[in-house]
Amino acid sequence: MSSETYLEPAGPTSHSAAERLQVAGLYSPSDAVLSVRDLHVRFNSENGVVHAVRGVDFDLMPGKTLGIVGESGSGKSVTSLAIMGLLPPTAEIAGSVRLMGRELLGLNDKAMCAYRGNDIAMVFQDPLSSLTPVFTVGAQITEALTIHNPTMSKQAKEARAVELLAMVGIPSPKDRLKAFPHEFSGGMRQRVMIAIAIANNPRVLIADEPTTALDVTIQAQVLEVLQAAQEETGAAVVMITHDLGVVAGIADDIMVMYAGKPVETGQVDDIYYDPRMPYTMGLLGAVPRVDVAEKTSLVPIDGIPPNLIYTPTGCSFAPRCPLVSDACRAGEPELLPAGGKAGHKAACIKSDALGGDADVLEIFSAPPVPLSRFDAIPRGERATVLELKDVRKHFPLTKGALLKRRIGTVKAVDGLSFDIREGECFSIVGESGSGKTTTLLEIMEFHKDQDGEVVIGGLSNKEATTGKVRSAMRRELQMVFQDPTGALDPRFTVYEVLAEPLQNAGLGNRAIKKRIMELMKLVGLQPDHVNRFPNQFSGGQRQRVGIARALAVNPKLVVLDEPVSALDVSVQAGVINLLDQLRAELGLSYLMVAHDLSVVRHISNRVAVMYLGKIVEIGEVDRVFDNPRHPYTRALLSAIPVPDPQLERTRERIILKGDLPSPLDAPKGCNFATRCPVFEALPAAKQEKCLTLEPPLEFVPASSAAQALEAGRLPSLDQQFACFFPDGELDEDMLVVHETAEPHAP
Amino acid sequence: MTNLNAVDPAAVAQDAHLESADAVIGKSTIIFRRFMRNKTAVAGLAIFLGLTIFSFIGGYFTPWDKETIDPFNIGMPPSGEHFLGTSQAGIDLYAMTVEGTRISILIGLIVGLVSVLVAAVYGCTMAYFGGKVDKVMLFVLEALIMMPALLVVAVATSGGGEGLKNNLPSWLLLIIVLLVFSWMGTARLIRSLSMSLMQRDFVKAAQYMGVPPRRIVWRHLVPNIGSLLVLDITRGVTGAILAEVAFSFIGIGIKVPDVSLGVLIGGATSQVQTFPWMFWVPLTVMFLLTGSLAMMNDGLRDAFDPSSSSVGKAKKKSAKNSVKEPAK
Repeated sequence: MSSETYLEPAGPTSHSAAERLQVAGLYSPSDAVLSVRDLHVRFNSENGVVHAVRGVDFDLMPGKTLGIVGESGSGKSVTSLAIMGLLPPTAEIAGSVRLMGRELLGLNDKAMCAYRGNDIAMVFQDPLSSLTPVFTVGAQITEALTIHNPTMSKQAKEARAVELLAMVGIPSPKDRLKAFPHEFSGGMRQRVMIAIAIANNPRVLIADEPTTALDVTIQAQVLEVLQAAQEETGAAVVMITHDLGVVAGIADDIMVMYAGKPVETGQVDDIYYDPRMPYTMGLLGAVPRVDVAEKTSLVPIDGIPPNLIYTPTGCSFAPRCPLVSDACRAGEPELLPAGGKAGHKAACIKSDALGGDADVLEIFSAPPVPLSRFDAIPRGERATVLELKDVRKHFPLTKGALLKRRIGTVKAVDGLSFDIREGECFSIVGESGSGKTTTLLEIMEFHKDQDGEVVIGGLSNKEATTGKVRSAMRRELQMVFQDPTGALDPRFTVYEVLAEPLQNAGLGNRAIKKRIMELMKLVGLQPDHVNRFPNQFSGGQRQRVGIARALAVNPKLVVLDEPVSALDVSVQAGVINLLDQLRAELGLSYLMVAHDLSVVRHISNRVAVMYLGKIVEIGEVDRVFDNPRHPYTRALLSAIPVPDPQLERTRERIILKGDLPSPLDAPKGCNFATRCPVFEALPAAKQEKCLTLEPPLEFVPASSAAQALEAGRLPSLDQQFACFFPDGELDEDMLVVHETAEPHAP
Repeated sequence: MTNLNAVDPAAVAQDAHLESADAVIGKSTIIFRRFMRNKTAVAGLAIFLGLTIFSFIGGYFTPWDKETIDPFNIGMPPSGEHFLGTSQAGIDLYAMTVEGTRISILIGLIVGLVSVLVAAVYGCTMAYFGGKVDKVMLFVLEALIMMPALLVVAVATSGGGEGLKNNLPSWLLLIIVLLVFSWMGTARLIRSLSMSLMQRDFVKAAQYMGVPPRRIVWRHLVPNIGSLLVLDITRGVTGAILAEVAFSFIGIGIKVPDVSLGVLIGGATSQVQTFPWMFWVPLTVMFLLTGSLAMMNDGLRDAFDPSSSSVGKAKKKSAKNSVKEPAK
């Protein structure tokens, strides 16, 4: 990666390498492009002054990437906004922010405008709301160019806009200039945002959770674009994220923030392989790994971050730290060199004791892996709690206001069959739009006129004609929602929330009270919190209330709709452990829908991969994840970032082209053909087969070696997939490997 | 958040007394406490209650009533005999004010309460059934909104409906007419609110638990638009009082011999200079009435709103050592 610099805004003309070097000579590459010193941000709130950022220092070298990691509320976004000068005027900012030697703090809005979008640019989290809906994409890119290059001609600007869109990988960029933001998908809009950000070749690019709102496959695409853009412009990147996996592969340095302060900084490898601060260790241990089959509990970090209205007297992490001693509470530790590596600093008085061999699980006293009584029984002998037989849900797509013409069908769920046995966790994964949620709704809203059969606890939806049968089925089946805040009636106290299903089941008041106390203990909440309203709890606690409500009537099957995606990493670990433990203790079965494959791998026994309403691969979780057969599964798995920098840098990635096809032009044969990396590489004759025939879901034929090994065992393994050419070569255009490494199958 | 294995020991110790009922505080108590914490609202409530009591028992403090003419004191300023003076016809103004306040409060309360009730039922029904029912009911609603209320009031209370007028006192007639024209806006608001509530996860959760629809509407929909209902009641009362005053002022509302604040104000406007007490006394009463309602409105909203900053003292203490969301 080059480390050149432009002092002048670059023109629209293409730059030769020599030209860049010449410009770079004006500015010493060893200096930091952005240096932040002792940055403090305070906000006034009703309850007092919130000290949101408390002394952030960093130097950003040209062409380097700094990852800022932390939970929500740790001050990472506020730091970036303070650098950009985008905080409201009520915020009190102190310290120093120097961009190429020039002080930015204290500049008024007008003066900042000369830098913003020119030398320093930002990519925001939510691509859906960061583009103006009433202007075309081209107009918005041109606007960024016009402001900083008033003399640029109209043709030049248009040419540059086309060049930018092509750079971020938008097909037929010239035509797309005239498109409006709503004509783009989320991933495409984020690309446009990146294009706008790099329009003037910024020296610093700040990306605030740029991929959080996107699907994994799209996340992989966008990260790729971001890296390409960085290479193209030589900008230094500040990457803000809560996902340790995302930054592992692309960051050079990492800064871990907690309670408004950096608690550990260093090179990426030092942070991941030799963390010296308990918080960092906890964060790393709290993330489930998609690439590890061995089952360990996750590291839960108890408690919540401190309220920054009160100045911490000791180490801000002390109340949650398992290694806390009196010395920790005596004063806030400084960020001091730790671990012996250059640049590695940690704010912990015990950092020297926390060598590389310290066991995170032990330190945080992670609970042992719970064992279910069902684990010992072979799957085939366990009772079935839920069975779906050929369930379909098609929505007609109509057009016209007065006379509605049917112009197509959205096959949201198209012939789904699977079963869930007792004590088992079954997960459905796939991109958004693949029909996961519709499947859940079909199960939850079972009725007799459904297309297909839903059997819950031995009762079929076809028999659910009387209220009695329906409520018997309902009692077997409960749901935990994605957003814990929305799923709890804000006007109900926790007691009322938990009492509702019990009252509905016809329990008496005394029995309800007793059961609620049991439930509170079961999910790890203090029983005296029953009188609180949901808004007095943290997100993780709210989700626990949601789980308690689902468990109130002792269901056999709990449907989990993205149960942890709305939670912070450290809290997420606690909830996942709880789910795991409940499954073992109560013999529950789970049906989980999730887009986070790491979480799926951690808690599921079986998994189904869905694509456009169909299951493309289904089977035991370790088999599917370790030996994926369908190209889509392979792509999904390779797109998941892993919190392991070395692995992440050398990993082979399948970057799928484009987004889910619109249901209108859904392919006739294999649904996945339009994006399939195998299909791309196939000879035309074989492609014909993919395009015309629909591949059925078939068992994995045991390979000859495996057959020899497992002679005499069951003929088929618990893995089915729907692809004609699972062993086909992958198209090279869709493969991305960042550093040369031994090629290995994902 | 507590670890899932280790429930706080203090909490375990508390279990014993928690299993008895005293730990559970009723929500009405919480709402009442929150309302009482808002000083302005309590003052508003006190003024409103005071006026209401005054309007019912105030008549016993004076020997005069609203019909007796005192031929020796015509258009006299306040004196020992007539607390607030007399009108040009020689009727005691105090007696008339008491009577007028009662009629105004009565009109306000009845119209405010009943119209919100009608609106809630109508709005929730529309939202719950949707489809064709929704369309037809919405059409009726729009048609009523477009009808010129002023004209209908004028016709109903003066020109047409002779039979009605003979059988009903004019204030009851005005109540009915006001009712017909006051619920539509609220109904439309309630419809859209309940429609968005139907989409919320907690309503879905209740549906998936098998809670019957009527109970969902009653337990989840109505309480969640409840603060709006309460606000709309107080606003509706204010609106109805003002409408009555306005209609009576221009002479199409309450008719003499019935008295209301509007009639009194309307009758006195022409002589503000010569007989100021006749104008200012009923006007002050009206201001007190609507002002106190507005003050209450604010406190009620605070009390019903779960996200309000009105947190109990006891709660604050316990929140500090366990969990409290950082201020937004």
